[in-house]
Amino acid sequence: MKRKLSIFLLTLAMFGGLLAGCGGGDEKAADPAPTEQGTQNKTDDSQKTDDTAKTDDTAKTDDAKQDDAATDQNDGLFPATDPASSPATAMNRKDTLIVGMTAPKGIFSPFYGETAYDQYVVKAMFDSFTEVQKDGTYGNSLAEKVDVSPDGLKYTFHLKPGLKYSDGTPMTVKDYVFALKVLLDGSYDGPSDMLSVKIKGAQEYHDGKAKDISGVKVIDDNTVEVTVLEPQAMTKDNLGTVYMVPEAYYGKGYKQGNVESIKALNNKPVGSGQYVLTKYAPGQEVDLTANPNYFKGAPKVKNIVFKTTTEETKMAMLQSGETDMDMVTVSEDNVEELKSYGFLDVNIFPTNGYGYVQFNHKLKKYQDLKVRQALVYGLNRAEIVEGVYGKYADVINIPQSKVSWAYTDENIEKYEFNLDKAKQLLDEAGWKVGSDGIREKDGEKFKINFSATADNSVVNALIPIMTQNYKELGVELISETLDFNAVMDKKDKGDYDMFFAAWGLSADPDNTIFITDGAQNKMGYSNKKVDELMEKAKVELDQNKRKELYKEMYQELNRDLPMIFMYQRRDMWPINARVKGFDLSPYKDFSYGLYNAELSQ
Amino acid sequence: MKQYIIRRLLQMIPTLIGVSIIIFAISSLVPGDYITAQNNPNMTQEKAQQLREIYGLDKPAVQRYFIWIGNMLTGNMGDSLVHKEPVTTVIDNYVWNSFIIAFFSLLFAWIIAIFAGVFSARFQYSLFDKIVTLLIFLSMSLPSFFLGLFLIKTLSLGLGITPVGGMTTAGLNAHGWAYMVDVLKHAFLPVLVLTMLSTGSLTRYFRTSMLEVIHMDYIRTARAKGLHERVVIFKHALRNAMLPAITLLGFELPGLFGGAIILEKIFIWPGVGQVYLESINMRDYPFMLGFTIFIALLTLLGNLLSDVLYGIADPRIRLK
Repeated sequence: MKRKLSIFLLTLAMFGGLLAGCGGGDEKAADPAPTEQGTQNKTDDSQKTDDTAKTDDTAKTDDAKQDDAATDQNDGLFPATDPASSPATAMNRKDTLIVGMTAPKGIFSPFYGETAYDQYVVKAMFDSFTEVQKDGTYGNSLAEKVDVSPDGLKYTFHLKPGLKYSDGTPMTVKDYVFALKVLLDGSYDGPSDMLSVKIKGAQEYHDGKAKDISGVKVIDDNTVEVTVLEPQAMTKDNLGTVYMVPEAYYGKGYKQGNVESIKALNNKPVGSGQYVLTKYAPGQEVDLTANPNYFKGAPKVKNIVFKTTTEETKMAMLQSGETDMDMVTVSEDNVEELKSYGFLDVNIFPTNGYGYVQFNHKLKKYQDLKVRQALVYGLNRAEIVEGVYGKYADVINIPQSKVSWAYTDENIEKYEFNLDKAKQLLDEAGWKVGSDGIREKDGEKFKINFSATADNSVVNALIPIMTQNYKELGVELISETLDFNAVMDKKDKGDYDMFFAAWGLSADPDNTIFITDGAQNKMGYSNKKVDELMEKAKVELDQNKRKELYKEMYQELNRDLPMIFMYQRRDMWPINARVKGFDLSPYKDFSYGLYNAELSQ
Repeated sequence: MKQYIIRRLLQMIPTLIGVSIIIFAISSLVPGDYITAQNNPNMTQEKAQQLREIYGLDKPAVQRYFIWIGNMLTGNMGDSLVHKEPVTTVIDNYVWNSFIIAFFSLLFAWIIAIFAGVFSARFQYSLFDKIVTLLIFLSMSLPSFFLGLFLIKTLSLGLGITPVGGMTTAGLNAHGWAYMVDVLKHAFLPVLVLTMLSTGSLTRYFRTSMLEVIHMDYIRTARAKGLHERVVIFKHALRNAMLPAITLLGFELPGLFGGAIILEKIFIWPGVGQVYLESINMRDYPFMLGFTIFIALLTLLGNLLSDVLYGIADPRIRLK
């Protein structure tokens, strides 16, 4: 009897304990996010693209959507409502600014830095002739001026005189030539692709057939002339954004064909930039101290620390004042939470990237435009996007960011959700509804094998809605979830029907995704008009003419639907109100303006 | 004994070779490689091909295996593709951080588990025993990330007595003693969570072991001879009960260096577990394979250590 009673009480207590443990779990924080990776890819140092397919949203989709009565604004600056409530931990840091970010890999080299986070450190420490501006165009930085010959083949860079590196070495254009040599070296295995800029003599240097690059001429210590084989719109900035490095430091031990000595200096950078590296603790922090001789003026904040944070606790760190700023995934919950702290200036702007669903154009059924149109009209994109991001994302209809100079919404079809129209299009295309409700044509049933990545909140919202929408259309959707690399591998091999992914955009609209046999065109899409327009725009040097060409091209892409364009979401940088002076844009991130920042006391 | 150890060490070699073949085969069957993992929309075919050549990724799997094994035999694990540094350097950068947490939580877990287990067994079915059992099951069933986040919310944000995460306070360039204090302050929560999670099952294990021993005849004899209860329990019973536990200790060896992947993410602890997980995602083969072999080696050594310790501790076992 005693035993039975004890067992009963024990069970009861256990249940009680378990239930007590269940309640009160922090909703936002409790979701373990998949490994966040911002992979950085650059044709040249200023083009940043973030691997947005893997940068994931951890906020749960709220079934009961929060009534955001405040405002319809879904980007811009939301200033702090109560700056005085900033925690003491932050306010007591008089001369140090702490930026939270994913851990950089320690590759602080302008030649080898790959991830966005390593690039932040590189940008804080190095400069180049030109750099990207707020609106995505390029302006002069180290360069006093840049002359371009009328035929677009000769580029003359004039370096500002009297500049020095942080170790006192004077800067000359010979350092620039050295940097080019490293990037063009046959054994260079970093992310930059200088060969595609088609400098005269580059291929010969790369293959080891020449000791110097014939197209690069040093006129004097502050003037260098580069000749290219063909004119391209991006050439000036591809050449101009090569970082200046002291040859005396990086060139020690460099021999053509052997870049090992340069790789060895990956975590010991020396540059001319805003800050100097004083400490690097892998996985923990990067410490930077101001360079008092910085040519744009000594930075006002003496110390900067890039502290490693993870998705689960970055908001907690902002709240406790352990970090002053961080990049937080945008979701309605997160934005509300951050605004509620009161002492954060919340900056929200459109992400430089977009999400899409790709068709495999090698399969016959997707080659019919009517089918593609039907699949877009028949998919409720607005519902999916709103379900994941709330109001903090837009459905897009061209593969370009709203903030780009090349963006257009003239004559762009919105493809709003319309099942009847979709059904009609499929009927016209010859896909008739069969006896089991699935459409068929020539004996083939309309089945889609959809590949998607696991642990992705967009996919989790997309698949049920897509399955439902397409079912009503008479199309059967079979989805499989794989890990990111497996999906990418399938994409490369062409072994798929449709898949969802997202990627980043560079500041310049030129890319190889939509041109026939383009490097990133793994879907087999081919459109003569697009090829023509892309080619013309690539070599056109006049910005306005380029804008017109791209406008036509986007209209064509919008009409021809190479893929289902899904959404452009938002990036968010909450910054403690004690920090002033940052002027952020999707193209010009905080690392460009560190020297302008100041801490109010 | 020496002969035994040498023989076991020699036996490890074919095992390691087998392990290396299996993990290499698995890694080459998995779709995707470092180039696809980067997913760079601006990478041209030529550049991708160039990179594959430089990294040796375009060679057939068997050839790559022998190149890799050849390097491994000379102690060269290759360069990590993600970190662009030798794998051994990368491991060295992070593994000691993991070691700190693992070591302290191992220490505390064992001490608490031994005492809880012993008293639980001694006072079987008492109120103490029942409470301890309840706590054990509670701590075993709560997921680590939940516990971690909950403690952060209550202790760090709510009470403000512990930092939210990281291993050191950012910007604080402490040295020597001050540095150690800073690290210990930051290690408090992760060690607490890890201890809570492992103590549970350990206590259960010791309790069972102790119970078995307490009912042995020689314990009855010791009591009959008039020995103090404390001596009977802690000298005679405990020593015998600990024997199977010694084998457990050997297996903890790989755990000391393996890193707690989930906790490291939650507490932003710069350990080797999250680096390892990332290398799998990014298909950083040199690091992935190098680290796996490292752990495999530690596991085998731990196994050997267990057997040897058991042979030393228990006079009834003769190792041949």
